[in-house]
Amino acid sequence: MGNSFGFGEFTFLMHGLSWTVLLAAIAFVGGGIGGLGVALARTSTSLVARRITAGYIAVFQGTPLLMQLFVVYYGLGLLGLNLPAWLAVAIGFTLHASAFLGEIWRGAIEALPKGQTEAAKALGMHYLPRMRDVILPQAFRIALPATVGFLVQLIKGTSLAAIVGFIELARAGQIVSNQTFAPLLVFGVVGLVYFALCWPLSLYGSRIENRMARATAR
Amino acid sequence: MTDTPVFRPSRRSLLATGLAVLAAPAVLTMSSRMAAAQSLADIKSKGKLVVGIQGDNPPWGFLNSQGVQEGYDADIAKLLGKELGLPVEFVPTAVANRIPALVTGRVDVLFATMGMYPDRAKAIQFSKPYAANDIVLVAPKSTVIKTNADMKNFIIGVARSSAQDTAVTKAAPEGTTIRRFDDDAATIQAMLSGQVQAVGANQFYPLRLNKAQPDTYERKLDFVRQYNGAGTRLGQKEWNATINAFIDKIKANGELAKVYQTWMGFAPPEFPETLEGIPFTVG
Amino acid sequence: MDYTLDFSVVADALPELLQGCLATIGLALAGMTLALVIGIGGVVMRGSNRRWLRLPVIVFVEVIRNTPFLVQIFFLFFALPNIGLTLNPTVTAIIALGLNGGAYAIEIIRGGVQSIDKGQIEAGLALGLHKSQVFRMIVLKPALRAIYPSLTGQFIMLTLTSSICSAIAAYELTSVAQRIESDSFRSFEVYFTITLMYLGISWLMMTGFSVFSRRYFHYPTR
Repeated sequence: MGNSFGFGEFTFLMHGLSWTVLLAAIAFVGGGIGGLGVALARTSTSLVARRITAGYIAVFQGTPLLMQLFVVYYGLGLLGLNLPAWLAVAIGFTLHASAFLGEIWRGAIEALPKGQTEAAKALGMHYLPRMRDVILPQAFRIALPATVGFLVQLIKGTSLAAIVGFIELARAGQIVSNQTFAPLLVFGVVGLVYFALCWPLSLYGSRIENRMARATAR
Repeated sequence: MTDTPVFRPSRRSLLATGLAVLAAPAVLTMSSRMAAAQSLADIKSKGKLVVGIQGDNPPWGFLNSQGVQEGYDADIAKLLGKELGLPVEFVPTAVANRIPALVTGRVDVLFATMGMYPDRAKAIQFSKPYAANDIVLVAPKSTVIKTNADMKNFIIGVARSSAQDTAVTKAAPEGTTIRRFDDDAATIQAMLSGQVQAVGANQFYPLRLNKAQPDTYERKLDFVRQYNGAGTRLGQKEWNATINAFIDKIKANGELAKVYQTWMGFAPPEFPETLEGIPFTVG
Repeated sequence: MDYTLDFSVVADALPELLQGCLATIGLALAGMTLALVIGIGGVVMRGSNRRWLRLPVIVFVEVIRNTPFLVQIFFLFFALPNIGLTLNPTVTAIIALGLNGGAYAIEIIRGGVQSIDKGQIEAGLALGLHKSQVFRMIVLKPALRAIYPSLTGQFIMLTLTSSICSAIAAYELTSVAQRIESDSFRSFEVYFTITLMYLGISWLMMTGFSVFSRRYFHYPTR
């Protein structure tokens, strides 16, 4: 344990970063699958499915992410599931992401003109091909900026895994800050690393949004 | 505004869900009852020993800059793994969530600098003590604290639910400002940055603090000598007996003393045979 | 593993938890107020034709929106004392929430201002409305109406974010809960309960916001 912020400390932060990226990736992929299910259920004809998923979204959007992580982290253990810490945390983030992505994609599906569905039906297309070939591709395009925006939120959100003792970037920063006694420098670097990760995504998101806004303005 | 998934569920669905969620604990109680009690055989069949440990509290348990778990607790846990013939997997836990991590089955055993206290003994099963630790109050030399009553004039930082938290909360007069942080790292950080004026500490805090700001900090008050034990879940009779036998063995063959010397720099003290209100074995 | 849920600890601690709820609401309201001030000030600066006024706002918005709140609050609490600025946890929490919410508010309000049609203003003046009437009825109210859902949604997110302030030992619902948890080791029960409390707080705020919106933003029908 060196006393200054050197190569070893930086490597340690990068080790934390790899966990941050991995957690965000798992949650985004898992949340993408879950969110698709939620979005389809929210726009289905079944009242029960719509009610249940509406409630699911309400809970996850109406409570702090930190609490969701705590409840899932401890709750899974109580259910007798002995999962490794990273998996328990990843499940928490996945449930969170499913709710938010589901809501974003529901909005996009509903934003499409009703005529699209009616035309597809008139062509004799059943639910699956209708969704797969007509509705979803268009909805995803509309939802792309918001989806990218949520990915940024998710990456930042993984910092909360630090509070359950999981060593990702934010927590690695705290540990290094404690060994080097240079909080200003260390938290500055940690902030910069997050920024370097998130900013390109944010830029990409607003660029496609602007392009879409121009396209509709014409 | 693209990056703000805006919050807009209907209020009615929010309310209905709140009510539905209230019913969930009943379901949970049932299923957690069904889960089987864990025995030594379960751990062996799993093929590894999962140990809850501190990640930021040198020399007890900490991660080095390569991200590898080290420290006194880590070495003792590795000896246990060797004894059982199992590889050890470390799960770093914050001070505040180590007991929850054990109780909810995240880890098999805690070697997490856990002071043995009667209230904790109600939540988990302690083993025989395997380390000693002095709980003290540390502050800059210039700070005037001579008695417990003097704490009232200062802002005291502690790691939430640590032994220091217990000791300071008990000793400090009514109305003392105590700020509780998530772990040792944050507490030490708060002292160094002047956010608190004194900290509830273990015997190694002064060393770490003075490394950052040389010749500044000293022990002000001695609260208690605590003994650390390994923690298992209540009622795990066989598992607790296995760990006690292991601790007896490393005390007898000198391995514990060797590890002690490595990390603490001095020989282990005499360990007590009993502690008031804390059974070492499943009764 | 035999674990039986026991909510009696939570029931005993209900008064403390409710006090924690109030503290959270207070923290959130203070943070929102600051966020609104920063948001309006930021939009004014952002709209200036002086580069040195515009640029800091752009940088501020991008930095805040692309770094985690936890890192922001750690920076304010642990690093700023290094340069001689020591603030207590509650003040730090309010500032952190205000800065964070402010960055989002700037973007939201800017969108609202840009949405106002210049032709409408001219039409209003042509109809003989006074300048102040034009500002109130044609600029301010429609702009506020347009940004209201996003802004209030953002404020509720801010309220939920305030739970992270427990990491710097600020007094609010989460830190009260952690205190109770550390006495009782009933983590699941405690966190489950306060999750519901946060749900209640969100619900309360949404109700408040929508009541306000119905009174203030309804279209005159006469």
